[in-house]
Amino acid sequence: MKGNAIKYDKDNIDTDVILPGTYLKLHDYDELAKHAMEGIDPDFHSKVKDGDFIVAGKNFGCGSSREHAPIALSHSGIKAVLALSFARIFYRNAVDGAFLLPIEIGEDAYKNISNGDQLEINTEKNTIKNLTKNKEYQMKPFSELIGKIIAAGGLFKYKP
Amino acid sequence: MPQTLFEKIWDSHVVVEKVDGPSIIYIDRHLVHEVTSPQAFEELRVNKRRVRRPDLTIATMDHNVPTSDRSLPIVDQISEIQIKTLEKNCKDFGIQLFDIKSPYQGIVHVIGPQLGITLPSTTIVCGDSHTSTHGAFGALAFGIGTSEVEHVLATQTIRMEKPKPFEIKVVGKRKNPHAITAKDIILSIIRHIGTSGGTGTVIEYRGEAISDLTMEQRMTICNMSIEAGARAGLVAPDEKTFDYLRGRKFTPKNYDTLVSQWQETLYTDSNASFAKSFTIDVSNIAPQVSWGTNPAMVCDVTESVPFPEEYAKGNEDQKKAAEKALQYMNLKAGTKMTEIEIDRVFIGSCTNSRIEDLIEASKVIKGKNVSSKIRAMVVPGSQMVKKQAEEMSLDKIFKDANFEWRESGCSMCLGMNPDILAPGERCASTSNRNFEGRQGTGGRTHLVSPVMAAAAAIKGHFVDVREMDLN
Repeated sequence: MKGNAIKYDKDNIDTDVILPGTYLKLHDYDELAKHAMEGIDPDFHSKVKDGDFIVAGKNFGCGSSREHAPIALSHSGIKAVLALSFARIFYRNAVDGAFLLPIEIGEDAYKNISNGDQLEINTEKNTIKNLTKNKEYQMKPFSELIGKIIAAGGLFKYKP
Repeated sequence: MPQTLFEKIWDSHVVVEKVDGPSIIYIDRHLVHEVTSPQAFEELRVNKRRVRRPDLTIATMDHNVPTSDRSLPIVDQISEIQIKTLEKNCKDFGIQLFDIKSPYQGIVHVIGPQLGITLPSTTIVCGDSHTSTHGAFGALAFGIGTSEVEHVLATQTIRMEKPKPFEIKVVGKRKNPHAITAKDIILSIIRHIGTSGGTGTVIEYRGEAISDLTMEQRMTICNMSIEAGARAGLVAPDEKTFDYLRGRKFTPKNYDTLVSQWQETLYTDSNASFAKSFTIDVSNIAPQVSWGTNPAMVCDVTESVPFPEEYAKGNEDQKKAAEKALQYMNLKAGTKMTEIEIDRVFIGSCTNSRIEDLIEASKVIKGKNVSSKIRAMVVPGSQMVKKQAEEMSLDKIFKDANFEWRESGCSMCLGMNPDILAPGERCASTSNRNFEGRQGTGGRTHLVSPVMAAAAAIKGHFVDVREMDLN
C-alpha cells in the first residue's frame, strides 16, 4: 500500500475536528467526506488524494463514538492513519467498518515523516518505508482480534 | 483469585473467552439514539436480520432535537428526517421509543438511571461515548460505534479485548461541597492523568470522597471517564445506589432479591490488584476551569492562564499544543481566570443536567440577574428532570434571573442542533468537551461546574464560587 503523508504535528486530534457535529445529520458518505478534517484543516478536502495517509501524534480520534469520523476520512481517500496512539472507539470504528487502517507508529517514524513524503506500508512485515527519505520504520503489529477483523474486511465479515 | 469489580462483571458476561485474546461479551442493555443508529438498522434490513432482543433495547432522541417549544414543527429538515427514521426503525423492529413528545424523553444517559434501566452488575452499551455515565451504578457501560451498534442489535453481544482495571482513589473531604463539586473532582483527575491516561482501561473510582458523593454526582464523575481515554468508569454500588433505583419505571419486580445478591458480590476484593493506580486528595482542590481545547487543559479558578512553556514542563509538543490552544481560545498567558469575560452560559448536557445540578445552580442565581451582556440557558437533561424542577419552582428562579428555560436534549454540548455558539463567542459550559468547534464553528468553550457557570452568568466573568453565599 503506497501513498503520500498528510502530516498534522499534533496530539489529541479529536472527532469534533475530524468531523464537526453539525454534519452528523448527513447520510451521504461523499457529502461527509467534503467536511473531513474541516475543524483543523479547511483545505483538507481540496488537497487530499485517493490513497493518502494521515500522520499524527498521540490519542488520535479522541472524543465521540461517531463512526462518521473514520467514514469521512475513508471516503476522502485516506487509506490509513499513522499515529503515536489512538483513542479506542475511533480505533475500533476504523476497522469494524473496514474504513481505514489505524496504524500505531513510534516516535522515530512520527518525527521523521514529513508532509508529502511517499510511504509504503507493509502490514505483513509490519514495516513502513519512507520512499522519499529512503528510511524504514516499524509499525506496532495488530492484535489478534483486530488483525482478523481487518483480514476479513470488517466486523460482519469476520467469522471466528 | 481475588478480583476487581470490573473483572467480576466482565467474567459474568463472557460468552466466549480466550486468554489474552478477543472475547465475546453479552450485553444486558442497549440504548439507542437517532444519530448513531440509522446505518445500523439499514444494514439489518439489507441483510434480512432482526433485532435479537428488542426487549433489552430502548431508544430515545436527544442529539439533534431542538430545545425550543415542542409544539412547533422542526425547522431543520435533515434533523427531522433523522428523527422520523428512528421512529420508523423502532416501529419496524419492535423497540420501545421515548420520542420527542414522550414524558420520558431526554438525554439517553440521564433517562437510563431515572427509568431504572441502568442496573448494577449489568453490561450497557450505546452508540455514544458518554455511556460511561452508567458506571456510577456499578455497571460496565461503554460507548460503541455504529458497526458495533449493528452487531449488538443483531446478536446482543460484542467482540472485544479485555481492558485493564485502573484504580483511581479519591481521598479527603471537600471543604465546601456546594462549591467544590463532582465536576471539579473529575476535571482535576483528567488534568493530572491526561486525555489518554485511561486508554485501554476501565477506571474504578474508589475512596471516601467517592462514597460521600450522591448518585448524580457519581454520574458526573463516570461520565467524563472517556475524556481521560478510558473505555468505562465505575463505582461499586452501595446503599445510595440501591435506594436511587428502587421503585422506578423499569426497576425489576424482584429488586430486593437482586440487591441482596449485589451486596454479596459487587465490590473489589480486598487484595485484588489493579494494572494501574492513581490517588487524588480533594480536601484542598479549588473550583476548576478549562482554559484550552481539551479537557486536560484545566486550572484552578484562582490561577492565571498558563504560559505554554510552564504548562509544557519541557515537552515541546505540549508547548506547541498550549500555544495553539491559547490562540484558538483568544487568551493571553498570565491573564487571571477571573478576568476572562464570557458571552454565553450553558447549564446542561449528560454531564450536568440533573435535578441536583439545577438545584445547586439555582441557589447561586436566586434573586440575582444574569449580566446584561450574556445569553444564558438551562437545558434540563430530561422531561422528568424538567417536570421535577418545575414542581420545585426552579424554572421561576432561572427565568426571573433571565435564564432561558428550555426543553430537554443534548443542546449546546455538541453543536448539531439549533443551540450553537456563534464564531468567537466564549461560553461557560457545564458540558464535557472543550474541543475546537465543539459547540459551533469558532466557538470557545470553558468547562466548569453548574455553580461556577451560574456564578459566571451573574458576574459576566469567571468568579471563585466559594466567595458567594450558597445557602
